[in-house]
Amino acid sequence: MSSGCPPQSPAVAKTEVTLDGPCPVLASTFAYWDNILGPRVRHIWAPKQEAPDPSLLLSDGEVTFLANHTLNGEILRSAESGAVDVKFFVLAEKGVLIVSLIFDGELKGDKNTCALSIILPQAELGFYLPLHNVCVERLKHIIRKARICMQKGYNIISVLTSEIIPVMELLTSMKTHSVPEEVDIKDTVLNDDDIGDSCHEDFLKKAVSSHLQTCGCSIVVGSNPEKVNKMVLTLSLFLTPTERKGSRLCQADSSSCRYDSGLFVQGLLKDATGSFVLPYRQVLYAPYPTTHIDVDINTVKQMPPCHEHTYHQRHYQRAELSALWRAASKDLISADNLTLAHDHFTPDLNIFQDVTHRDTLVRSFIDEVFLLKPGLQLRTVYLSHFLLLLHRKALTLLRYIEDETQKGKKPFRSLRSLKTDLDLTVEGDLNIVMAMAEKLRAGLHSFVFGKPFYTSVQERDLLTNF
Amino acid sequence: MIGSPDVVAFTKEDDFGELFPDPCVLPEEFSVPLFTHAANPWTKTAYAKFSKDFILISEFSEQVGPQPLLTIPDDSKVCGTFDLNYFSLRIMSVDYQASFVGHPPGSSYPKLNFVEDSKVVLGDSKEGAFAYVHHLTLYDLEARGFVRPFCIAYISADERKIMQQFQKLSSEFSKASECLKSGNRKAFANELLKKLKDLEYTRSVLHKESELQKMNNGCYSTQAIEKANELANMEKSIYEHKDLLRQITSYPSRKRKDPECVAYEPEKPTDMTDVNLALSSTPSELEDKTVSGDEANDRLSYTPQLIKARSAKCFDKRLKTLEELCETTFFQHTMEQLKFIERSFRGDLCYMYTSQIDRALVRRQQITNFLFEEEEDWQEDGLTKRFEAAGPPAVNQPPSASDMLAEPMSLESYSSCVDTIQIKPEPEFVEGPPESSPSDFTQETSEEAADTETKGSFSSDRSIEPVSPGNLQMQYQDTEVVGMSSSSEECTTLADNAFLDQCEADPSSALYETPSVQTGTDRAVHTFPLLENDLDMNATDVYQTGSVQVDTACCMGQEGFIHEEPLPKPLRGGCGDMVVKQEPLSLLQRDPSLQGDYVLGEPALESPSTALSLPELNSNTLSEEMARINVEDASDTTSYMSTSTSSDRAPSPFCHGNPVTLKQKKRAGQSALRFIRQYPFAQQAIFCLLTGRTLVVLGAEEGTVRKLVNALSIFVPNLGKYGETVQPWLSTPFQLTDLQRWKLIGLQRMASPTESSILHSLIRYSRYIGILDADNKTMRCPPYKGALLGHMADHRTQIKRGSTYFLHVQSMLTQLTAKAFLFTFCHHFHLPLSSAEDEESVVTHRTSFLHHLGYTEEESKIVHFLSELIKQHYIQGPSKGTSQSVLRFNYTTSYLYKI
Repeated sequence: MSSGCPPQSPAVAKTEVTLDGPCPVLASTFAYWDNILGPRVRHIWAPKQEAPDPSLLLSDGEVTFLANHTLNGEILRSAESGAVDVKFFVLAEKGVLIVSLIFDGELKGDKNTCALSIILPQAELGFYLPLHNVCVERLKHIIRKARICMQKGYNIISVLTSEIIPVMELLTSMKTHSVPEEVDIKDTVLNDDDIGDSCHEDFLKKAVSSHLQTCGCSIVVGSNPEKVNKMVLTLSLFLTPTERKGSRLCQADSSSCRYDSGLFVQGLLKDATGSFVLPYRQVLYAPYPTTHIDVDINTVKQMPPCHEHTYHQRHYQRAELSALWRAASKDLISADNLTLAHDHFTPDLNIFQDVTHRDTLVRSFIDEVFLLKPGLQLRTVYLSHFLLLLHRKALTLLRYIEDETQKGKKPFRSLRSLKTDLDLTVEGDLNIVMAMAEKLRAGLHSFVFGKPFYTSVQERDLLTNF
Repeated sequence: MIGSPDVVAFTKEDDFGELFPDPCVLPEEFSVPLFTHAANPWTKTAYAKFSKDFILISEFSEQVGPQPLLTIPDDSKVCGTFDLNYFSLRIMSVDYQASFVGHPPGSSYPKLNFVEDSKVVLGDSKEGAFAYVHHLTLYDLEARGFVRPFCIAYISADERKIMQQFQKLSSEFSKASECLKSGNRKAFANELLKKLKDLEYTRSVLHKESELQKMNNGCYSTQAIEKANELANMEKSIYEHKDLLRQITSYPSRKRKDPECVAYEPEKPTDMTDVNLALSSTPSELEDKTVSGDEANDRLSYTPQLIKARSAKCFDKRLKTLEELCETTFFQHTMEQLKFIERSFRGDLCYMYTSQIDRALVRRQQITNFLFEEEEDWQEDGLTKRFEAAGPPAVNQPPSASDMLAEPMSLESYSSCVDTIQIKPEPEFVEGPPESSPSDFTQETSEEAADTETKGSFSSDRSIEPVSPGNLQMQYQDTEVVGMSSSSEECTTLADNAFLDQCEADPSSALYETPSVQTGTDRAVHTFPLLENDLDMNATDVYQTGSVQVDTACCMGQEGFIHEEPLPKPLRGGCGDMVVKQEPLSLLQRDPSLQGDYVLGEPALESPSTALSLPELNSNTLSEEMARINVEDASDTTSYMSTSTSSDRAPSPFCHGNPVTLKQKKRAGQSALRFIRQYPFAQQAIFCLLTGRTLVVLGAEEGTVRKLVNALSIFVPNLGKYGETVQPWLSTPFQLTDLQRWKLIGLQRMASPTESSILHSLIRYSRYIGILDADNKTMRCPPYKGALLGHMADHRTQIKRGSTYFLHVQSMLTQLTAKAFLFTFCHHFHLPLSSAEDEESVVTHRTSFLHHLGYTEEESKIVHFLSELIKQHYIQGPSKGTSQSVLRFNYTTSYLYKI
């Protein structure tokens, strides 16, 4: 790292974070623009490394210098109130990359521009980029809460800490347990000699189908880490390499096996009692609906489709922020209190439902892929055919809707024609292709299925009567 | 009295609400919008004041501060009302490359600091503008601290695009930046050289003046002392500039901090002779050489000027423009790169991202992507390839004459073989005039050929007769067809093992005569058997024994099947067997990561590979280029190829000699969509193409025919890199060999004597082809029953645009290709399950397998045909191109369809 930075401010508070493993994060900072002194760092979070690599260490002065840099130029900021802007720096001279979220908030009665930043070594660029959206979305939400606390005059550092540390933990766990960019089919269920050898046929079909219907977002729970990871890798086959880098194997050697919102596929181990507590709020805050797969009892459950999921998510977030706003004192904003406050916003506690839509695409693929001899590359090639087909169908569907609606200028009214023309008459097939298309064009579900607050049940009725 | 407007004012609910907000209600600015995405998912941002993405180059000028310099594209409409000045101020207001330049402490000379580029992504949510900003520093001798900070920004309304494509943007902009900086270093070094010469010249002048002063006024006069001081300053300035020159020329050897940084050194930054001279010479030597006009001086052709010692630090000069800061060629090259980047990243992220995924997946399917995928090796990583070298990319260059003259084949290799059923396109490889096939383009030639043919050298009626019912049953188990009259006979002239065996055993195989087609130019020598085995006699022997030794069942069924050879060679002759016994060659050869995974082991497999003759190998390697040459030849001979004078020339489906591109195919989608809507028998036409039956589009008007050919071309399997399998417009009769080469032919209907010969050829070969009469709107071809093509070509489709229809067809063809791959490599459907089973039951397995997949009898033929092509491609190697060693005929009753 570079030297020659200005001396640090003596008032910078620092929290050292103990993490379970080598953390790729150098530091995290909260800085604000002081109307008299200019950019100032208020707090630094740094991982506590047992045997740190000296070349990767940043002094507090350097951290301060970099954090100040994130705010430089923001005096010209002309964003709407409440907007959170993301800046991303790759500073080769300093050997670091910084992701910075810029927002406004009230400190000491003045409106200030603030920045919450994470600093990583530049060498971690390839590791970080696939996780950028996950980190940013999570930090954005904690910033929303922090802004309310700032407005109320509460201490915001504890609020920020409640998400900064989990983000650091997430990055640490991803460093050791992320799914590789290229998954060898030999490590998956698709390498079995015959269908059903290591995984029940129907269960496998349902798991893959639901996984694709929920935009490739799944959690796999079980007691046996090998079994869990085999399913994680199997599902990861159906993701893009970048999405795989945003997926995680279960951590058999770690006690801190927890759910992380925003990952594509993640494996989770049950505790000694054979249960796993899934944090409702975090599952709901994931960008896509999730499939829940239990490899112990071979069950597959899925969340409602994208538009309904987004609707619930937004409602829940608004409710959470409102509860925070109404909290009479700082003591009432603890997580437990807010959780209680959330309860009456819960739209449907049974967010995981049975997979009702059968498909032909996945079913026939699973049937057929096992006809090819295992151990060769034939199955890998056939899988690539299948994925290519899905991507092309998704693109065709997008173009079809785009043409029909003149790029969204007109409402979409020809779902039936779409199904016939594109050979998507089977509901499960349509769901899979729509989910692929949603990843390409966010908001497509809401647009196609009309009013976004229809529940999937209502929508089903609507489609039936169509 | 209170008037009504006042009452309204007091009772207005909104105002009241605003005045007294409920303190318990969360203000909207602290909440989240209920709907994350705008009602229209195609709207990236409602605030963007520019119409499309653009590149902005800005500078932090030491005179006027941040200022925009230029945009790419240079069109004011693109930027719209977007405030470039404000945005430049925003992106250039921070020095992200903060580093010391100038006189470092303890150093008497200025020090150049080669700072690495910085990359920043930022956005202005209010303006709806998001940017990737690449900061770089150029050197200018006359600038403060010798540095000029610049930035190149890619500005888009789509924030997601910037982050998702960050690494690609970063990589491409780094290359452009390196190019700019290289040119700048060269210009800076040249400037330093000139400056050094000026300084040396000035020093010499001062020296002479000083000597003169000393002589006139003595050593200690005020004027002499002033001159001496001036001289000392000049000496210091010379050393400073020499030091700068040394620094700038030592740039390439320094250690880079940025691991992703790409070195761009297309040429030496400056003429090192001059630099070495300037650095190594003592002032007097340099002066002498400068004055004496040596070679270096001649090269520079620069006349030194008298300057003031401190002129380098004057700031009252006009700052150099960006172009002046770089060598012109480098600047232009950078601009070209930036234009290319702008073109590459423009457009919707969704399509950009999908095409990246698409390419990655298609690359894994090297065994099958020849069927319907356009070859992308020339497009692949175009961004990377294009600017990796300084020179233009050398792709798609035609082979040199020496390559062509390196004749790979001897005529002996085409010696006749009685028991042959395959046709080879060898005339393409014959030395001399490349084409001698009867499809050739002069009317005279074709007429001659036709005459020759009529005289008895070839008779299609005699050459291909229905084979015995047993054979037919073996092929398709089509018992209904087999044994019926000749109108419904069916046969496939495949080099099928079993089929060959039967042919050898069955006297009826004698019906397979070896009529020959004479080449147009040298008939005495170049007489080829039309139906010949592509194996010579030895090869046939090997093949015959191979049919026993290469037992597919034992090959695929046994465990521990290890081949001793590291890489299997392409096989010949084994394609008749319905199972492919090896890992796809392309997988083994092209993807090293896959090589270790597939093992072969039966020594018997070596037999067919040893049957591969050298000429065959050569033909494989050359065929692609030859095909291209042939197409080019065809285009060159257009003047006499067509007798048409029609001015209504629709665009040809492909530019002759150029590779078929996805864009062309998408355009063809529009014609295809119109075709399926206009012609109710479109499914039959597509069925012909997908089963390998050549489709002839007959019409008087060239434009109409070309349009139809263009429309149908997207359905042609193995279209070829240059669309070799399509002949969009032919004004001469075609012959049997043409059916092997061309799968889609546009044929001119002429009201002239030639018509009779054309009609003659049509009638003669009508049982092997489909005929789409564009004038009478009829179609004569075998029937098709099934749902598959109904999905692909439904005349009631609501698809509105041709490009969308093409995407739909593409996905359907992808599905078909996958099934053909499955069918080809599912070994147990091609092998007897037990020793008691005969070939007949194997055929039953295959048929039932395809039926199980949901295919009708006709659709099974499509999968069969595609599977045959895969096998052929696999066995002959990927470089074989579109040339097919097997001409396949399918005798079924043709029906006449009308609108």
